[in-house]
Amino acid sequence: MAVVHLLRKTNGMVGILLLFGAAAFAQIDPQTAVMPLTTKSPKVLQLVDQAWKLNLDEVETEKAVEVLQKAVAIDPDFAFGHQLLASISLDPREQVSEQQLAYKLRDHASPSERLAIEWWQDSSDHQLISAITKMNDLLSQYPRDRWVVFLSTWWLQANTQYARSIAVYEKSGLDSPGLINNTAYCYAYMRQFDKAFAWMDKYVAALPNDPNPQDSYAEILRMAGHFSSAVDHYRKALAINPKFYSSEFGIADTYSLMGDQAKAREEYKVAFQEFPSLPELHLVQWKTREAITYVRESDIPGADKAFQAIADYAHSNNMHQVEADIYRQMAMYQMDPKRTTAYLDQADAAVDEATNAMPLFLQQEQAQILRARVELAIRTGNKDMARTNLAKLADLSDKANDQVIETAYHGAAGAQLFTQKKYDQAISHLEEDPSNALSLKLLAAAYQKIGYSAGMKRTDDTLANLNDPSLEQALVVPAFRKCYEDPTCAGRTAAALR
Amino acid sequence: MRKSCLLALGLLALSCLAQAKQLAVVTEKSNATSNLSAADLGKLFLAKTRTWPDGKPVVIVVRDLTSPEMQVVLRKVFNMTPAEARSFVNAHHEAVVVADSDESVIKYVSGTRGAIGIVDLFSLTKDVNVVKVDGKLPVEQGYFLKGD
Repeated sequence: MAVVHLLRKTNGMVGILLLFGAAAFAQIDPQTAVMPLTTKSPKVLQLVDQAWKLNLDEVETEKAVEVLQKAVAIDPDFAFGHQLLASISLDPREQVSEQQLAYKLRDHASPSERLAIEWWQDSSDHQLISAITKMNDLLSQYPRDRWVVFLSTWWLQANTQYARSIAVYEKSGLDSPGLINNTAYCYAYMRQFDKAFAWMDKYVAALPNDPNPQDSYAEILRMAGHFSSAVDHYRKALAINPKFYSSEFGIADTYSLMGDQAKAREEYKVAFQEFPSLPELHLVQWKTREAITYVRESDIPGADKAFQAIADYAHSNNMHQVEADIYRQMAMYQMDPKRTTAYLDQADAAVDEATNAMPLFLQQEQAQILRARVELAIRTGNKDMARTNLAKLADLSDKANDQVIETAYHGAAGAQLFTQKKYDQAISHLEEDPSNALSLKLLAAAYQKIGYSAGMKRTDDTLANLNDPSLEQALVVPAFRKCYEDPTCAGRTAAALR
Repeated sequence: MRKSCLLALGLLALSCLAQAKQLAVVTEKSNATSNLSAADLGKLFLAKTRTWPDGKPVVIVVRDLTSPEMQVVLRKVFNMTPAEARSFVNAHHEAVVVADSDESVIKYVSGTRGAIGIVDLFSLTKDVNVVKVDGKLPVEQGYFLKGD
């Protein structure tokens, strides 16, 4: 049977080739090859091009999603289109349903498209080694194809493989503003801020009239602790485009990290008034950060009210995974163990109700809830409860082969071993959870207990400079920083907190 | 703004600092060995075991043992200082190949009978076998070759 393949070419022209069987794929020059996309319609290819520009170069993800939705409506058998939609969608339900469709329709796709779809499916199914080999197989065939490079760098970043993501991009030779932006973030996540700023300068130069480079610059400056400069860059982004809502929220996030919660809430209020129709996950993200401002002020009733409103919203919109995560976060800042338990029970109940989320995501949530239960048990001195929940978490981690779940296990196991004064063993677990403020604090303390002062100093520095608008950061870093920076605080080091 | 790991991969994010490095032991495709104990792995890489069970000579393929990427290997497999590792490689140049990248390690291992190498997990390709260590694959809890 003849199959029509539409080949995208590097010069932007679109050609149509009639391909007969697999012979057409025999000759591929990796230096120039562009992955063939299998669709019945030239219009679909135009839409895919448009989605690229919107998603990567203009960071208009919602619009890119709409364009891809149109593409798969025109050609419902366009398996790779469904995969792209699953990969960039901001709606967890769509992520799940489109991934399933892509996999179901993969026989309609070319071998290379199939490889991409199976790689993402393997990832979703916890088959990490198989996913890695498929990604590298695809990259060896198409190291310069923009979608292959985008999916690879994106997936590697999601797996915290920043150096490798940078290498994939640099090898590609692609001159894409969106990929330059991602590369800058990779350097920032590795805390190599000089390189991150250098890439940001390139990004700003590439798109001087676009708000996103200024917005990204602001976020990276904030990560580096340059708060005032961050606010300046967010304002520059808004001066270019007053509708660029992430900058408005970015200003609020920055004030919260700076410690000015009243100003932060004022900015959140303005942002929510100006932008009432945010995509669901963005809405939840910034509502959560707004709620965290109360935690930063130790205003538990205020935090409860704000978080409960998000949980109710999530529940009424059948976002049960989100609901579970909100209850888990509520449990984490409670002073009363009974209230912590009650919120963790509500989190479990929400997970049980969730039928529309990817199983992997639900297991990740279960792992976080189990971790919170272990931490609660440690806090209340309930050894049996700690042991039982840690065993459940270990079992989940053994079966899942997933980094989020494994990291949760290491954080919980490290905390338990620390309590048992088994510092060497605790360290080996806590080192596996290097981005969680709760684990970092214990790790620095464990290093101190075994007399490893260089490790303690390095970890203290990391913790003191952690500017991530998460609940864990809010619970640990501000208090830690007060002592760390105060010359009168018993030796000026974090050790004073232990 | 850049979409965070949180938005793309579900609600729960790995936060964005780097995780511990994971390494994979790889052999060429025809090698029937699928599992090694950590002790046997050490014997192979220290050139104490010179042949595979089928008689093929062992060829060790590593990246520069003094490079930051190989610190875990240096500590857990060789149990040597960087200077000792350099001397070891010089003294065993007939059995040890030093490659300049993970890709080169894989290329050499995949094309050489009896070759065994160690690479970053995320550089794996279909051209090599991944060998378990103490019954565990790199992604499994308690895997031997993992660390900062």
